[in-house]
Amino acid sequence: MAENKPLLSKMSIIRIIIVIQFVSLCFAEETIKPVSLKTGKQLAILEFEGWAISEPLTTFLTEELRKTVRDLKIFQVQDRGITNQIQIFKPRNKDYWSCWSTECVIDLGRRLNVNYVIAGNIQKKGDDEFLIKGRLFSVDMETLLNEFSLNSSGISDSLLLEMRKMAYNVSGLPIPENLSIESDTTQVATVEKIKRKRKWIHLPPIPSKIKALLLSTALPGSGQVWSNKKIPGYGFMGTEASLGTAALIAYYQYNKAWGGFQETYQSYQNGSDPHDLLELRPQIIQYASDTRKYNAFMKNIRSVGLSIWFVNMIHAYLVAPSDDFFDGDYFFDLEYNPDANKVQFNFNF
Amino acid sequence: MQIKFNSILISKKFLNGLLFCSSVFIFSCDEASYDLNNPFDPENMDLDPPALFFHPSEIDTKKDSSFSVQLYGLKLNPAAAAQLDVRYDWGSVKIDSVKADTFFQSQNDPIQIVMDEDGTLDIFIYLLPDSDVNQNEGGTWPLATVYFTAISTGDSELLFGNNTRLRDANNDSVRVKSFGSGFIYVE
Repeated sequence: MAENKPLLSKMSIIRIIIVIQFVSLCFAEETIKPVSLKTGKQLAILEFEGWAISEPLTTFLTEELRKTVRDLKIFQVQDRGITNQIQIFKPRNKDYWSCWSTECVIDLGRRLNVNYVIAGNIQKKGDDEFLIKGRLFSVDMETLLNEFSLNSSGISDSLLLEMRKMAYNVSGLPIPENLSIESDTTQVATVEKIKRKRKWIHLPPIPSKIKALLLSTALPGSGQVWSNKKIPGYGFMGTEASLGTAALIAYYQYNKAWGGFQETYQSYQNGSDPHDLLELRPQIIQYASDTRKYNAFMKNIRSVGLSIWFVNMIHAYLVAPSDDFFDGDYFFDLEYNPDANKVQFNFNF
Repeated sequence: MQIKFNSILISKKFLNGLLFCSSVFIFSCDEASYDLNNPFDPENMDLDPPALFFHPSEIDTKKDSSFSVQLYGLKLNPAAAAQLDVRYDWGSVKIDSVKADTFFQSQNDPIQIVMDEDGTLDIFIYLLPDSDVNQNEGGTWPLATVYFTAISTGDSELLFGNNTRLRDANNDSVRVKSFGSGFIYVE
């Protein structure tokens, strides 16, 4: 009996070790799952918005995108059922741009407990032309990561192909040759266009006085009309229009006289018949006199027109609403500096 | 990055831009300039109208070649007939033919009598009246065209003789104040 005791204890130790190993193995398996989930690869693909195409088709295409992204194994794509639960918790209306902004998508992403969200839409542009747009948002970084835009011609087969391509784009993988045979290069152009557009939206505001001045410089009276001084505005506009019309008529007459002068003078220079030459002579003198007369008239109109134009510009500047335009936010300004006793031009960018 | 420029005086570039814009308004249309110096223009012939002259007044030609000269009236008063006394160097050129021209043309062709003798060519031209006119309206027109042939080389002159005269429908004399001359250069 005394000899059996150590044997039993060894067996017990071995059993205990096996049980511990088994239990730790089991626990270890369970603990891997949350670690894997917290690597930040959870992706929810929201139902694509459809514009001028049927809801079942958008559902089908969204599911195709989910399936392809899932197959590429870069993201862990949330199941359609779970993603669509958000409709129950937070019903969204059927507006086209219902959840396209970063705030909205990030909010949904948090509710769905994912790291990334894809939102998008499919628009029917022509009879057989579709534009698929998608945006990849990072919920953790609270930002828009990427934007995809693809053109597709033809119905479902082509759309399916485009959705698969988008899946590759989203996953950051090169599109395989069998998909890119019919690749539409407008994707790059469209994305470039979107990026380029964004560069132009942050122009500093122009002060009202300068805006009125510029408007009146371009079209006399328009600055005054913009400043709600309609009577002087239309007055300047009408005066300049009348002068312009008079100048146009004078120019037409001048042109006629100039044409006649050139024709008769050419005939005179090349002619040899004394009778014809004698008849051409007074015509040349008359045409030359007319050109001088109309030219002088046009010069006078131009002087008057320019004077009124400048008066109109100054008037537009004076009557425009005054705002504190040079507070650092505005683009440029003309102001009087009493210290330097000079009108100065200031600008910032 | 924000760079802010305060109190920068109007730059030279801005002024240049303004000047360029203004220059658009300074441009004007061309003014007609001319020089009425055609040698065939009677006004350039130092003639005091009413006058008779040869057209062209200078002829360069070659021996044995034919040429024509018009006997032209400048600002003549209305006339019904003319005697044109033309003097030429009959050793240098010979008369081929003479043809009455526009001046005495009415609905009927004018009557003409030509007498050519030793360098003196007398041309008598009469307007043949029709139902409307018995004399012309005057003006600047050719009275007759004389066709010559150069027979020897050298220079010669064409002149109107003393017998040159014009008459109106009442057989009154039509005044001619001055006469032109012509030159023939035969090579």
